[in-house]
Amino acid sequence: MPNPLVGVPEALAEAELGESAAHLMVDDSIYPLEAVYGASFTFLDRCFVLIDRPEPGRFRVTLSTKKPGADEATLRALVGEFANELLAQAWRRKIVEENRATLEAVTMQAIGGAMGPPTLDELEDFDFSEEPFEDPLGIAMSWEEKYGKKTPPKGDADASAASADAAAEDAAEDATADQDSDAKGGAE
Amino acid sequence: MSARVDLLALPRPKSDHAAPFRMRRVGDHVVLTSVAGRYAILDRDEFARFAAGDVPEGTPLFERLKAANLLRDHFDVPAAADMLRARRAFVGAGPNLHILVVTLRCNTSCVYCHASRANMNATHTDMTPEIAEKCVDFILQSTNPSVTIEFQGGEPLVAFDVMKHTIEYALEQNRSVGKELEFTLVSNLSLMDEEKLAYLVDKRVQICTSIDGPPDIHDEVRKLPKAYGESGHDLAVEWTRKINARYREMGLDETLYHVEALVTTTRALLPRWKELVDTYVELGCRALFLRPLDPFGFADKTGDRIEYPREAYLEYYRHAVDYMIERNKEGVEILERYAAIFLTKILRGEDPNFLDIRQPAGAGIGQLAYNYDGAIFTCDEGRMLHEMGDDSFRLGHVDETSYRDVIGHETVRATVIAGQLAGQPDCESCAYQLYCGIPPVHSHKTQGTLFERMRESTLCQVHKGIQDYLFEKLATADAETRQVLERWTTIRPRDHFLHAPTGG
Repeated sequence: MPNPLVGVPEALAEAELGESAAHLMVDDSIYPLEAVYGASFTFLDRCFVLIDRPEPGRFRVTLSTKKPGADEATLRALVGEFANELLAQAWRRKIVEENRATLEAVTMQAIGGAMGPPTLDELEDFDFSEEPFEDPLGIAMSWEEKYGKKTPPKGDADASAASADAAAEDAAEDATADQDSDAKGGAE
Repeated sequence: MSARVDLLALPRPKSDHAAPFRMRRVGDHVVLTSVAGRYAILDRDEFARFAAGDVPEGTPLFERLKAANLLRDHFDVPAAADMLRARRAFVGAGPNLHILVVTLRCNTSCVYCHASRANMNATHTDMTPEIAEKCVDFILQSTNPSVTIEFQGGEPLVAFDVMKHTIEYALEQNRSVGKELEFTLVSNLSLMDEEKLAYLVDKRVQICTSIDGPPDIHDEVRKLPKAYGESGHDLAVEWTRKINARYREMGLDETLYHVEALVTTTRALLPRWKELVDTYVELGCRALFLRPLDPFGFADKTGDRIEYPREAYLEYYRHAVDYMIERNKEGVEILERYAAIFLTKILRGEDPNFLDIRQPAGAGIGQLAYNYDGAIFTCDEGRMLHEMGDDSFRLGHVDETSYRDVIGHETVRATVIAGQLAGQPDCESCAYQLYCGIPPVHSHKTQGTLFERMRESTLCQVHKGIQDYLFEKLATADAETRQVLERWTTIRPRDHFLHAPTGG
């Protein structure tokens, strides 16, 4: 049998004393899911935390105490702390977005300065085999890598120029084909 | 019956004349701080004029606001940039403080023991010479040109041979590395003897001890078995005097070279602030650090007996510092360390690099702690949590983890991000943001998150309360009080304790 909690709107939270648990309803237009995750995580040492979505637009968080037999005051304190942490998480997310450049600059300088340059041994152990980043448009590729190098016969300058013209024409055709393909994909 | 306020009838503030600022009401005044941390303290009438944009050029208020870089049309960009740079001068310097726990064994049982001490027969908690050498090798890889090795415990004098070995090895290795090297010992001094002191003085090891108040309180919270002496307080005082006398004999300036003593404030001490200050003055100390209890170690379990509301702590703080200011006016030189840290930032626009009150906090990038077994932690508090069963701040081991892997550890990255108050609700708009700092390990221990919820934080309460007090003082101070507060911001290097890069 659910019990209301003093000072907390019944529609937002209730306690299940027999099950040593409290339920909170969270409006997803006010709090992002990441804030719900973040707030939930800070309760893992004390509670089993379950998150579900019983209706559109609302998350339900169940805080079930690891030690059974929690009284109403304990459950009210848990709900209150969760609500405060949820607000802190949501607002901090917004503030971090706005101050991202400063935070990243300080962090990079602090870690980079404290680490110093790698030693020769560490450089040897570095793995350079992986592509540094994905390059679907081939921006970082050379002309030859992207369109294929057509080696002209030795001493035939005219043939070489003709080959370059042909490659340019191929590239133009490829680009047109890509656009068609994109348009098709968009229509689908 | 409810009172109604006609919001439309209230004077409307204007923002077109003001540079970005943060504000906080302190007593009858309003403290304004600029984006770079300059400040102006206004009375209510002045603040109303500032808010309304009614500050004619050439008036004294205009000049004060201009000097604090709070006026948009006169905003000095280079000055703001210089000040911000000065406040963050430590960022990127790398870890300077390296705490070595040479043993967990301790002959004293403190009710709040933050270190989680072990009994005197727990010899397995002594650091081996091999581990000590690996710690030194690791420490000397720091990118910081200055390195301090701080011996802690337990009681480090229990493992004096390990300490000696560490000092000798560090001095030897540093001949080729060339750091500015310092050694510090944190000890209860009860196991000190003439031979040990002679060695420590010869190796220029700076010595710190704990004096937790008048004798009855000190001996109650720091229990020393009779086998070691009648009173831990008396032993600490006796050796403090001897060491200070030794410095004088060596011709060192006693205002600069003396045993540093620290107090941990327990509940019984709160009403006895005057005796505490007198104890420190009488002992020849020039600084008193009115530290509240930390939530680490045994304090977690003994809190019922020794903890207190932070409002009570702040009242004790105000009484004690008021009294210290009065003693200064009588010619006694003693400063309060918290006040000195904050005032240096407020009045001088510099950061004294106190690792627990800076942004980002010192964990990993400013300090590292090494347990007796060679495990490495972000800070000593992180090591204390390890002793309490929480390994969240363990970064590796001197046997197997490289220096760069320790500094680049995800926990260090997380604490650096969490330790920047520009990303924190409340702090982001707090007038004291640029003077403050919260160690994320405290947030983790007290709230289960690296990002402290400041409105529920005892540490934020203490920091805000102390800064409120200081701004109240600055707002109302006579010339003599102001002079005392400014003197507390003087930083004098203790060159005698430095081992120069040549290894000399």
